[in-house]
Amino acid sequence: MNLAIILVVAATVALGIILRLAVTRNLQARDNSGLVATIRPIDVEAFRNLINPAEDDYLRQRLPPPRFRVVRRERLRAMAAYVQVAANNAAVLVRIGQAALASADPRVLGAAQQVVNEALLLRRNTTVALARIYLALAWPNSGFAAVRVVDRYEQLSGAAMLLGRLQNPTVPVRLSALL
Amino acid sequence: MLQAHSLLWHYLWVAPNVLLLVLAGLIWRRKLRKQFPVFLFFAVALAIEQLTIYVVDVIPSVGPFLFWRIAWIGLLVEALIKFALIGEIFVRVFGLYPSLAKLGKFLINGVGVALVLLATMAAAYTPKDNTFWIVSGAHILEQTIYLIECGLLLALFVLVGYFKLRWSRSAFGIALGLGISACVHLATWALMANGNFPAHYRIFLIFLNMATYHVCVLIWFYYLLVPERSTAASAVLVPAHNLEVWNRELERLIQL
Repeated sequence: MNLAIILVVAATVALGIILRLAVTRNLQARDNSGLVATIRPIDVEAFRNLINPAEDDYLRQRLPPPRFRVVRRERLRAMAAYVQVAANNAAVLVRIGQAALASADPRVLGAAQQVVNEALLLRRNTTVALARIYLALAWPNSGFAAVRVVDRYEQLSGAAMLLGRLQNPTVPVRLSALL
Repeated sequence: MLQAHSLLWHYLWVAPNVLLLVLAGLIWRRKLRKQFPVFLFFAVALAIEQLTIYVVDVIPSVGPFLFWRIAWIGLLVEALIKFALIGEIFVRVFGLYPSLAKLGKFLINGVGVALVLLATMAAAYTPKDNTFWIVSGAHILEQTIYLIECGLLLALFVLVGYFKLRWSRSAFGIALGLGISACVHLATWALMANGNFPAHYRIFLIFLNMATYHVCVLIWFYYLLVPERSTAASAVLVPAHNLEVWNRELERLIQL
C-alpha cells in the first residue's frame, strides 16, 4: 500500500504541475504587456572580470587557502546571480522573439528567429553554467569557466538589437555608427 | 447510480468513444489529418479498442478469460500508440526550434529510459491483487504504462515551460488531455493494483477513470475543432531604453 500512496502523491503533484503550466501558458498568451520591463541589464565587463580564470589564479597565489575559499565562494555566488539574470533575460527574449514571429516583414521574421534561437541557446547554457557554479560552491578549488554564457549573451544582445532596430527604425542606434 | 452496468456506466463507457470516432471523422473531413496523423490513428484505434472491450464485457456468452485476453491485447496496442503520439507531440513542439531539437531528443530519451526503469521497479514491488495472474497482471500493466506516460508528459510540460516555448493550439490540447488522463489513471490504477483496496470502493475509481476520459475527449474536441480566438498579434517592441543599455554594454565590449 505504501507504493500506492507514493504513486498517488506523485500523480497528484504531476497533475498539479501540468495544470499550473497550462494556466500559465494561457495567461502568457493573452498578456505580453510589461514583458520588456522585466529585462534587467547586465554589466558584461564586470561579469567577464568575475569569470576570468587569471583573476582566480591571482587570488589563489596571494591569499591563504581558507581565505581564498571564502573569496572564491563569494565570487561564485555573484557569478550565479549574473547567470540567473542572463537566464531570465533570455526567457523574456524568447517570448519577445516569438511574438515578433507573426510579422509579415521577412527581415523582422528572420531577426526574430535569430533572437529566439540565440535566447534558447543562452537559456540552455545558463542552466548548465548554474549547475556547474553550484557544484563549484562545494569544491571552491575546482576550475570553472562561464565564458560560453558571456559569449552567447553578446550574440543574443546583437540579435535583440537587430530585431529592435527593425521594429523601431526611427530609434537611432549608436552601434551602427561604431561598426 | 454508481454501479457496474448502470445507465451512467454504459454512458461513460460508450459516449466518449463514440465522440472520439466523431472527432476522428471531423479531423479527416476538415483535412487536419496531416497535422497530427498519429493522433488520428490513436483516436480511431482507442475508440475501436474500448468499444470492443465494452461489447465483450456486456455479451454474456464471453467468458472472463477471453475478456481479459482481449483487454491485454488492447492495452499493449494502446500503449504503443500512446507513446508514438507523445513522440509526435515532442517532434512538433521541439522541431520548431533547431537550437533545442538535439537537447530535447537527448532529454526525452534519458527521461524515457529512467521512467521505464522506475516503472519496472514499481511493477516488481506491486503485490498481486487477484488470484488470477491474467487479472493482476493487467492491473500492473496499466500502472506501468500510466507511470511512463505521466512522466513523459510531465517532462514535456516542464521543458516547454522552462524554455518558454510556444505550443501550437492542437499540440497543447492533445498533450493536456493526455496529461490529465495519465495522471488520474496512474493514481487510480496504483490504488487498484496495489492490493487490499476494498472491492466496493473500486467502482468509484472506475467511474473516476471513465469520467476523466470523457473530459479529456471533450478537451481534444475543443482544442482541435474550435478555432483560436484571433488575438491581435501582440508583437512586443524592444524599447529604446533597452537598446541604449545593450548599446552601452556592446560598446564597452568593443572597446576592450
